[in-house]
Amino acid sequence: MAKITLSNIGHSYNKDKDQSTWALKPLDMVWESGKTYALLGPSGCGKTTILNTISGLVTPHQGRLLFDDQDVTDVPTAQRNIAQVFQFPTIYRSMSVFENLSFPLVCRGWKPEKIKARVHEIAEILEITDKLGRSAVKLGADEKQLISLGRGLVRDDVSALLMDEPLTVIDPQSKFELRKKIKAINKINNLTVIYVTHDQYEAMTFADELLVMSFGEVIQRGTPEQLFEKPNSKYVGNFIGSPAMNFLPVEAKSSEIYFGSTKLKTSSAHTAVTGKAIEVGIRPEYVSLVTGTGENVIEAELLGHDDLGSVRVLKCVSGGFPISVKIQRNEGLPAGKNLFLKLPSEKSWLYQDGHLA
Amino acid sequence: MKKGYPRFFLLPGLLLLIAIIIFPLLFTIRVTFSSWNVSQSGLNFIGGENWGEMVRDTRYWSSLLRLFYLSFLTVAIQYVLGFAIALFAWKGIAARRFYRVLWLIPMMTTPSLMAIIWRSIFTEDIGALNGLLTRVGLDPVNWLTESGPANVAITIAEVWQWTPFMFLILLAGLLSLPKEPFMAAAIDGASAWKTFARVTFPMMAPISIGAIMIRLIDASKIFDSVFTLTRGGPGNATETPAAYIFQRSLQDFQIAYGSTLALMYLILAILTLTIIGKVFARLSKPRGI
Repeated sequence: MAKITLSNIGHSYNKDKDQSTWALKPLDMVWESGKTYALLGPSGCGKTTILNTISGLVTPHQGRLLFDDQDVTDVPTAQRNIAQVFQFPTIYRSMSVFENLSFPLVCRGWKPEKIKARVHEIAEILEITDKLGRSAVKLGADEKQLISLGRGLVRDDVSALLMDEPLTVIDPQSKFELRKKIKAINKINNLTVIYVTHDQYEAMTFADELLVMSFGEVIQRGTPEQLFEKPNSKYVGNFIGSPAMNFLPVEAKSSEIYFGSTKLKTSSAHTAVTGKAIEVGIRPEYVSLVTGTGENVIEAELLGHDDLGSVRVLKCVSGGFPISVKIQRNEGLPAGKNLFLKLPSEKSWLYQDGHLA
Repeated sequence: MKKGYPRFFLLPGLLLLIAIIIFPLLFTIRVTFSSWNVSQSGLNFIGGENWGEMVRDTRYWSSLLRLFYLSFLTVAIQYVLGFAIALFAWKGIAARRFYRVLWLIPMMTTPSLMAIIWRSIFTEDIGALNGLLTRVGLDPVNWLTESGPANVAITIAEVWQWTPFMFLILLAGLLSLPKEPFMAAAIDGASAWKTFARVTFPMMAPISIGAIMIRLIDASKIFDSVFTLTRGGPGNATETPAAYIFQRSLQDFQIAYGSTLALMYLILAILTLTIIGKVFARLSKPRGI
């Protein structure tokens, strides 16, 4: 385990001078020892660049990288004691499963008996003991990914475990099993884990803290609850949660907020907003159906609905703007097309120019 | 579509195959049982006389033994050198493109030009190599007129001409390897040697086998370097089966006997290369069940 510090780290693959085009814009960040982090964002947002910078596969264009306050920016990958699992299962094709798992230990000059004991211990955890004698290349994608993971876990000197979308190529059923296994292993080993994904469910169920990235920048960092409850921008509100957060354009009139002619109360300080491009953001989960007008109640028309397992998403429109409502499926569909929607003030936030006011 | 109709489309290819491979092969087999030579042309029947003579022909068998040593040795050196140079080029030495072209020149050289180059180097009285040896205080060597050195000279010329082929094929192989196993090896803490021995080399196995087999097939027909440098001499010291068959068939005009030698040579080449191919395939099989 190690505390990882990124000090003004930035990277450009084409060594561009203009920082606005960099794959990773300069950032300062500390990853605490023993915690699990998820890097979340669309493809090309810089997640893998951060990971490869930490493991040393990419030398940053600028800035310093510290492990437990020791500068490792120029230390080669092999000496960084990092375990990394790649998006596609990476195995040594010519080796058996046992040889794959023992390779990091062979590289460290461990004695054969010690290697054997350690490999069996890890194989036990990963539940692949019966496959140790098999040829790694003949295994399925999920088993190969377990071997990649096992090669990281087998070492006793790992500072951090970096996982770069490790479940992307795994089928849904195996994905569930593998995710469970990875979580259990993390619990046992208590490693500093950085997990890259663009699957928000994976990130939210996995990590102590989430970092949402966009265009080489970290947009928001916080616990899954913080990011869900109070996203600091429309980008995060749209990225986290399914369906995305509702944003309704409102007007600020002498410290009061109006959506059309309806006065709305929110949890944000209304005095903080002025001018235009003001919106109220509320999660579809917190919008509720009521029978009549009242405080923070708006009228809406029901356009349709999507059934998503045990929940149902009602697609509505109010004042010409779309609004989604998430209800339990067993609640049934509303009787008519005209609905009254309550937007609880404690779950509503004001956004100006795309950012939390 | 009528049954059998698609087979009709195979006919031109099959006829061509029969015309250029099957017929000549069957004809050669038939010729070996005749006494076709400079004074008696045509297909008479003399039984297995040619085959019996071949068994007793020590010159033929020693040329085969020599071929065995020459082809294996030269291909092994070509592979090691070619791989080493390909690794350097792959790792991105300066002026990579220039070196790639430079390394291809020997392969593109015609046998006659190769003969001029190497004869000027090996010629005993005015050759560059002996001049160099004399200058550093060593005795000159009879490169082309003494059995051992003549074989060394042919080996050097063969290696010079065909190492670029290995280099080219192996470099293409290296450039097509996936990056991830190398990243994983770096993460796993593998040294440069371990990465080569446990990752690069095994991943290159199919390409290596392909390149070695192509070269072995080609080397089993070593002729031009022998013919241009030593003409099989001194005596028969550097004679290969191809050179000997050429001598008997097309210079002595013993068509039937030459055909017998050629046919035996073909059988042995197919057998040996098949066995080598199988051994390689077994060696390169991934570990585990």
